Amino acid sequence: MEEVIQVEGLQKTFRTPFVQRKVVAVREATFSVRRGEVFGFLGPNGAGKTTTLKVLVGLIRPSAGRVRVLGGDPGALSVMARVGYLPEQPYFYDYLTPRELLDVFGRIFGLSAGERRRRIDALLERVGLQHARDRRLRKFSKGMLQRVGIAQALLNDPELVLLDEPMSGLDPVGRKEVADLIVSLKDQGKTIFFSSHILADIERLCDRVLILHRGEVRHFGDLDALLSRGDRREVVVSGPWPREMEALPGAGEPQRIGPDVHRLLVDREQTGEVLKRLLGAGLEVLQVSDRKVSLEDLFMATAGEGPVGAREERE
Amino acid sequence: MIEGIGGPFRRVNAIARNTFLEAARNRAFLGLGIAAMGLVVASLALANLAISDQKARVLTDFGLFAIALLLVVIAVTMGVILVFQEVDRKTFYVVLTKPIRRYEVLAGKLLGLYGVLAIALVGMAAAWLVALRIQGVPLHRDMAPALVLVWMQAAVLTSVALFFSAFATPLMSGVFTVGFYLIGSSLTVLQDHLSARKGALVTEPTARALARAAVFLLPDLGHFHVGKELVLGIPVGWDYVAAAGGYALGWVLLFFSLAVLVFERRDFT
Repeated sequence: MEEVIQVEGLQKTFRTPFVQRKVVAVREATFSVRRGEVFGFLGPNGAGKTTTLKVLVGLIRPSAGRVRVLGGDPGALSVMARVGYLPEQPYFYDYLTPRELLDVFGRIFGLSAGERRRRIDALLERVGLQHARDRRLRKFSKGMLQRVGIAQALLNDPELVLLDEPMSGLDPVGRKEVADLIVSLKDQGKTIFFSSHILADIERLCDRVLILHRGEVRHFGDLDALLSRGDRREVVVSGPWPREMEALPGAGEPQRIGPDVHRLLVDREQTGEVLKRLLGAGLEVLQVSDRKVSLEDLFMATAGEGPVGAREERE
Repeated sequence: MIEGIGGPFRRVNAIARNTFLEAARNRAFLGLGIAAMGLVVASLALANLAISDQKARVLTDFGLFAIALLLVVIAVTMGVILVFQEVDRKTFYVVLTKPIRRYEVLAGKLLGLYGVLAIALVGMAAAWLVALRIQGVPLHRDMAPALVLVWMQAAVLTSVALFFSAFATPLMSGVFTVGFYLIGSSLTVLQDHLSARKGALVTEPTARALARAAVFLLPDLGHFHVGKELVLGIPVGWDYVAAAGGYALGWVLLFFSLAVLVFERRDFT
């Protein structure tokens, strides 16, 4: 399948003012995005998501590595003509109306006056802003600005849509509308790359995901495969936990959930061996059940690996 | 991608229109109208204070000086926020991620501000001419070239402000640009002192070196000041305006290129 984004060994370092400390925002990131998929980009605050997105649209230049977007260099005119980008918490010219703002961008895209008018009306309708089309952006709420941001990202009917926190600032109705929009864009054959903190949306909408932590790629791949890879069994046993019990293969620490009742999460392949040892130690097995790993489990496990934030190195 | 020659012009034009609209809808533009009215009132008041045979001289000199000063104020105040404001408010994120080159954005911003300066000049010149007519001062045909030269000076200063605003805060950019204006307006005096046989610039080698460097490195804004010629009735002429235009264009291109060099390397974090 054709890859519309190819990132190999991407590294971005910044220098802090005055003390010139080197801050690594993205470290050796390698991933790709396939044409026509919805790609989720996850990570705690400060993980390097926005930096990576900005590299993809040419706002930031990589310190090292190779980045190709739609077969060209990020930021190149021929590339950006086919890309739509929504920055995180977008801000626009206060004194313009949404129609005037989209008209400026339409002119940059080289659209004719008639085409600009047609697309702008259709997009404002699509994002639910027709009623406010002649109101100055200064008077817009955060959610309305987000909708304007989505409209400007779609003005050129892009092949690739990059959305940085598209659900941010939206109420539940707005979130649902954006989710529906992403689904309809996918149905039109477009590729959507979006970052979000709202894991339920990512889990519901994305074909593949990438979890970034401290600038490093921790998980990357097909969402179903990632989640099933972590599938485990939950074993509940009754009886006093033997002090001399050795570590069980493929099992986590037992959690006490009641008087002499313990719960263990066990790797699927090791379940038989663990059960044999538990029974041998005189414990009564109350329950064995499948436990499917959610994206939240995966995310929290990744985010809990250490303090959130970019690594810093002193040269 | 193969693009026609119209592409860059179309994109620059889109940014220039937007910059012009931004300025036109800014409340500061209203202040400009008030300043123009103030110019008329001040001219009339000053004319009443002047000796009767000096009335025309005072009105002409004061009017041109006031217009030039107001235009410099606009050029500096708007020039220093031209890029900074877009970066600070992050409006550049959505502009620079469109199919447009960074230097085209800067060119559009600069041209948009030149349009604002032209409109401001026309407004203030109209107010000045009204004041002259009220006082019965005959209009001089060299007033038009003098006004164009005033605009050119503001254009050079805008490009200087644009260069500084590509990397410095508005306050720092403002200080640097005003410094440019003050030194650039004094270069003729500096040259006179350098060619004198006595004085500080002859006896102090460091001061002399600094003065020579300033004369060599900075634009001589004295070329755009023709108030004295206007008052004394010395013809200015369009050939002089054309030569001054070439001089201004050279400096504008130099500072614009320097701004582009800084801007092209910049990360928008």
